[in-house]
Amino acid sequence: MTNPSEMPVGDTPSDRLKLYETMVRIRELETGIESLHYGGRMHGSFHSSMGQEAAAAGVIGCLRPTDLVTSTHRGHGHAIAKGMRPTTIIAELLGLQQGSSGGKGGSMHLHDVACGFLGENAIVAGGVPWAAGAAWASRRLGKDLVAVSFVGDGGVAQGVLAETLRMARTWGTPLLVACENNHLAHSMPVERTFGEPGSIAGWAAGFGMRAEYVAGDDVFAVHRMAAEMIDEVRATGRAAFVEIEAWRVRAHSLNDPDYRYLAKDLGKSYLQTHDPIANAERDLPLTEADATAIRERIAREIAEAIDAAFEGQAAPVRSATTGVYSEAFEQEGRLRGW
Amino acid sequence: MAGELKYAEAIRRALADELATDPAVVVMGQEIEALGGVFTATQGLAERFEGRVLDTPLAESATVGWAIGAAMAGLRPVVEIMFMDFITTAMDQIVNGAAKLRYMSGGQVAVPIVIRTPSDAGTGHGPQHSQHLETWFAHVPGLVVAMPSTVADAYWMLRHSIQDDNPVVFVESKYLYFRESGEIGATGAADHPYAARIARSGRSVTIVTAGRMVAESLAAAESLATEGIDCEVVDLRFIWPYDREALTESVERTNRLIVVHEAVGDFGWGGEVCSWAASELFYSLDAPIRRLAAPRAPIPFASHLESVIVPDRSAIESAVRDLARH
Ligand SMILES: Cc1ncc(C[n+]2csc(CCOP(=O)(O)OP(=O)(O)O)c2C)c(N)n1
Ligand SMILES: [Mg+2]
Repeated sequence: MTNPSEMPVGDTPSDRLKLYETMVRIRELETGIESLHYGGRMHGSFHSSMGQEAAAAGVIGCLRPTDLVTSTHRGHGHAIAKGMRPTTIIAELLGLQQGSSGGKGGSMHLHDVACGFLGENAIVAGGVPWAAGAAWASRRLGKDLVAVSFVGDGGVAQGVLAETLRMARTWGTPLLVACENNHLAHSMPVERTFGEPGSIAGWAAGFGMRAEYVAGDDVFAVHRMAAEMIDEVRATGRAAFVEIEAWRVRAHSLNDPDYRYLAKDLGKSYLQTHDPIANAERDLPLTEADATAIRERIAREIAEAIDAAFEGQAAPVRSATTGVYSEAFEQEGRLRGW
Repeated sequence: MAGELKYAEAIRRALADELATDPAVVVMGQEIEALGGVFTATQGLAERFEGRVLDTPLAESATVGWAIGAAMAGLRPVVEIMFMDFITTAMDQIVNGAAKLRYMSGGQVAVPIVIRTPSDAGTGHGPQHSQHLETWFAHVPGLVVAMPSTVADAYWMLRHSIQDDNPVVFVESKYLYFRESGEIGATGAADHPYAARIARSGRSVTIVTAGRMVAESLAAAESLATEGIDCEVVDLRFIWPYDREALTESVERTNRLIVVHEAVGDFGWGGEVCSWAASELFYSLDAPIRRLAAPRAPIPFASHLESVIVPDRSAIESAVRDLARH
């Protein structure tokens, strides 16, 4: 029997509130990471998922803890929604031993096997066959689970995605590919590669699988659609594809000169018209006071997580060259001089 | 296990025995079910192990990615890439996925997959079906690169590779599939899994090689013996990790070293072995280290052109003769 607390989010008022809270948690995390970077307290780069929270919360909200998720370079939201602890994420982004990968992965390589988060993959679309294969293997091993693989609109041009959908069609695997069409692949507008929103779903339908489009500024719509599709995927063991239209409200990555290809205030105006968090507050509905209280609680939670992450230690220097191979292999190598 | 097997049969038997022993093993690749593999390596296995030896669509990249996912979920997939040249289409999944996942997940996952793939010239397959690319994989941290030269090694090294918790690129010899026969024996011969094998003991020159060049080197050694040049032939078996202890011991005996491989010489794995030997074995050497490998050209179709490219016993003989005189 599934523990009630492990049941996926359904459609009761408290379930709907949960989706909202997940979105707020993602927004707060991304905002926190942003300020750590701007404050010079974090190095490297990162890809913010701000504005796309409904895809992560809505789709992953349908999953059981044992279900699997793979993600992209823009995956903090997916990680949080799948249950990764903010402290572990921040520690990883700080390159600390307490990070999910002991500081070896960073922002684009979050993994948390215990949560069923089989990893971001910073090679565009590269994680899709991982999810397909993991779900397929798990079924063979008697586990009743499904996998969701996130991919961007840009990633849809990658050969490996087409190959994986073809192979999913041939072999069958309980996989939902969730494509976040945020209108841009770095500076390339989706209209140039695919066309109007919905064209990507149309393309995927050509693989002989169910493929749907849903607007990504409405977490409840995303959730309804995903829940129905995931139920079907779980029941039939056959793959499906959902295109979620979203809006990238930040630059592609931290130091991307997006003013060269976007109007300067585009992100802001997207948020004014398509903010999934504001929309959820309207639709739940939440009073302004209730919304503020929730946002403040979660903001505090993230601030505490950041403080806790800073308590961590730098990863030991020797870890740079270990953990490349299995422990047994590396031991043999130390003994024999390779 | 009495009786002689061909190299291809040894591969098949290793797959069968692993499938029989470990329920986590699955075999995936193109034309491996009904056809039994273009080199017969999986013949009869799909019938014997129902649902575990599976044809994929022609999609190498997704196939390797799928195997990676399956490995993370607890299986031990063996992927067949029909010809080594085709592995280029799966490079991302091998290099950025299989090789790096353990590291970039901080040890949370292992990727115990084997990618079997045949290489070699000598069979008239031309430029896109003959190239030796093992150096690429030996260059990538996280991968093991195996290259068996005998029937026994084809069997035991494959079995070990399937049980290895690291991703292994397993380079088979399509030249030897049906030419090389021998016995499997009761156990693998080596004293540790990645040990080199002294294919012939000798005192004048160490020939370090692997794959089908072992047979060519042994043939060269026999005729050189009649001239009083006593070659030691070291079959590396693994390109990574390569057995530095065995190389050290051998060169300390012979004081002369030549590396022979079928892959292109420039930037090839022989360069790595030579460089390592030059810095670590310098005081044991009586002569400059030599390298004999393919020139910088693809593998041509016509046999007489191909023989210009691929080292053979007579090329090895003259290179070794030269080195021995030094
Ligand atoms: C195979 C590959 N090519 C190029 C890149 C560089 N790159 C990183 S993200 C990105 C754009 C991806 O667009 P999309 O898939 O729409 O995802 P988004 O960034 O919009 O979330 C590019 C080109 C990469 N990481 N991997
Ligand atoms: Mg995009």
